[in-house]
Amino acid sequence: MSPYDSATSAGSSSGSSSASSSTKLADIDGLLAGAGYKVRASDLRHVAQRLERLETAMVNSPVELSQLASSDTVHYNPSDIASWVDSLLSEFNHTPSLPSDLPDLPDIVVGPGINPTVKNEADATWTDNDAPPQQQQNMQSLTIPPNQLTVVTAMEEDSGIRLVHLLMTCAESVQRGEFSLAGSLIDEMQSLLRRVNTTCGIGKVAGYFIEALSRRIFTPQASSLFGGSVSGSGSASAYENELLYHHFYEACPYLKFAHFTANQAILEAFDGHDCVHVIDFNLMHGLQWPALIQALALRPGGPPLLRLTGIGPPSPDGRDSLREIGLRLAELARSVNVRFAFRGVAAQRLEDVKLWMLQVNSKEAVAVNSIMQLHRLLGSDPNRSPPIEIVLGWIRQLNPKIMTVIEHEANHNQPGFMDRFTESLYYYSTMFDSLEACTLQPEKALAEIYIQREICNVVSCEGLARFERHEPLAKWRSRLGQAGFSPLHLGSNAFKQARMLLTLFSAEGYCVEENEGCLTLGWHSRPLISASAWQAVPDANSPLGIVNHHHNNHNAL
Amino acid sequence: MVKAMRQMKVEEKEKEKKPKFQMNDHIDILIEVLKRLDGPSLGVAACVCRLWCTLTRSDSLWEHLCFRHVSSPPPSSVRPVVVALGGYKRLYMVCVRPVLSRLRNSDSELVWTRDEVQLSLSLFCVDYYERRLGGGATSASSLMFLCNPVNV
Repeated sequence: MSPYDSATSAGSSSGSSSASSSTKLADIDGLLAGAGYKVRASDLRHVAQRLERLETAMVNSPVELSQLASSDTVHYNPSDIASWVDSLLSEFNHTPSLPSDLPDLPDIVVGPGINPTVKNEADATWTDNDAPPQQQQNMQSLTIPPNQLTVVTAMEEDSGIRLVHLLMTCAESVQRGEFSLAGSLIDEMQSLLRRVNTTCGIGKVAGYFIEALSRRIFTPQASSLFGGSVSGSGSASAYENELLYHHFYEACPYLKFAHFTANQAILEAFDGHDCVHVIDFNLMHGLQWPALIQALALRPGGPPLLRLTGIGPPSPDGRDSLREIGLRLAELARSVNVRFAFRGVAAQRLEDVKLWMLQVNSKEAVAVNSIMQLHRLLGSDPNRSPPIEIVLGWIRQLNPKIMTVIEHEANHNQPGFMDRFTESLYYYSTMFDSLEACTLQPEKALAEIYIQREICNVVSCEGLARFERHEPLAKWRSRLGQAGFSPLHLGSNAFKQARMLLTLFSAEGYCVEENEGCLTLGWHSRPLISASAWQAVPDANSPLGIVNHHHNNHNAL
Repeated sequence: MVKAMRQMKVEEKEKEKKPKFQMNDHIDILIEVLKRLDGPSLGVAACVCRLWCTLTRSDSLWEHLCFRHVSSPPPSSVRPVVVALGGYKRLYMVCVRPVLSRLRNSDSELVWTRDEVQLSLSLFCVDYYERRLGGGATSASSLMFLCNPVNV
């Protein structure tokens, strides 16, 4: 921003922080202070409005920018945003060709017949030039039609807050079973939505949650359409799921992070083995595996024989989509000279997979890869044994060298609806926030649909139909520990690689953190996805007697 | 350029039989010079004349460019892999150049680490695979994020 640059060069007599010396330190907004700006917390709204206006003015009159850059006004102390912005705005008000300044609309409810009252907040910074009389004239003759809001006023901010408040109230009434109240709240929220910007921010997220809530209230049977199955919705086709998944992969780094981290861990675990077997719990388009194949091709000592078993839902139209992906991967492996064999296992649910289907032989090193699949097994039918135990049981029998587990870092499996709702509102708001930086279309739009489906499942489904039962890392640690797995620490290579991967992304808000040997990827210090690695604890005294397909040296582990 | 050189030749003959240095007669030296150019300059060089165009198309020049800044030379197993996945020129255009510019905001010493090389190769491989997946699902936009400007 050139005006700012001129300001910094002009204001290099900056020993003068005395301009705001009267401001107590406690008043100053902490977050902005970290960025080097001093704004009083109470002034934040005022400053935001002024910045919006400044932006509007600049957009409307690009010619004046150069004037500003060469203006005689000296901008002192640019870190004091409030007065700096005001002084810039006053600059704009000097030039007559500008559109008249928009008045403050701080506490006004904009209704159809109301003329916004013209109010000029008593503010010392406006008075240091000859603008005021001119302004007064302009303002008094001004009546802005309510729908011509180019400025995000305080009113809109309030609407956002009101929406969140209404969402919580609605969720609570749903939990209490007061469906008529909930229904009327939905109507109120939908009318409020019309006055809020739904293309970004809280408006967009609120829209999805309102839809999910109304599904829950009005059409609970229909929401069970989102039930069941290995990789997604029952009625939505596998093809659709794969498509959405692929776009989610492109639009944001979560899946890339998952793939690269898991691959690094698997690569390290396979070190020294000549026959390796990877079992992928959700093959989709097999996007994870090219990088592993390439890394194996280049590993010192040459590539091993790689077998890949991909599990996925059966394709309805007779197309063997698993086999097609297998063929593509085989083609890739052939071009880089890696001996490769693929096997597809079609199963609607992961607990239907039996050990013999995987055809693991005793001499190979096995890796199990689960990207956001284990949480689907947490819903249980009281008449049958819990699916998670079944699956973890046969994984343990496989005795894999490594099991990579990537899961959402969220607590969406609590028994109380209100808790789940609140938690998911925060979680998905953060996720949508991170998605804002993506500019690829249609990737972004389809990624949003992908996320929206998750939201719908968390909020509007119950029982077996609800399969998005996300649990945080701490819970998975205890669950897997009890099931006979011990954690493997992800090395520093994985961390370095994740960091590097993130610097390549255009948004600077992602952060990778290490958490007791596991990695989490988050947005602005809120972790959203976690990656961890596990191996089976050898159990010589197991009462059930773990059937060993392998000649295991328990000592050697 | 070629025309100018031809003119020079004619003038020469008219003057003396003093041999002058013609770059295009010494392809090995030409290649040595081209090896030291950066990516955009290589692109420009390709437009000079047919000979230069042919030379700059050679993948070995681009291989040199890709790994020029690597602290230790890559193992010999890398070449067949890269060639199979589309060649060094493509590796440079699609991965190396954006990765380098993204990872280095300042114009500091351009030295690759082995990790950065590996990451680029992995991304390159994913790109190859997505192109082979073809039509249906999506275009190969896996690396498009590398082209987006960083917003600070």
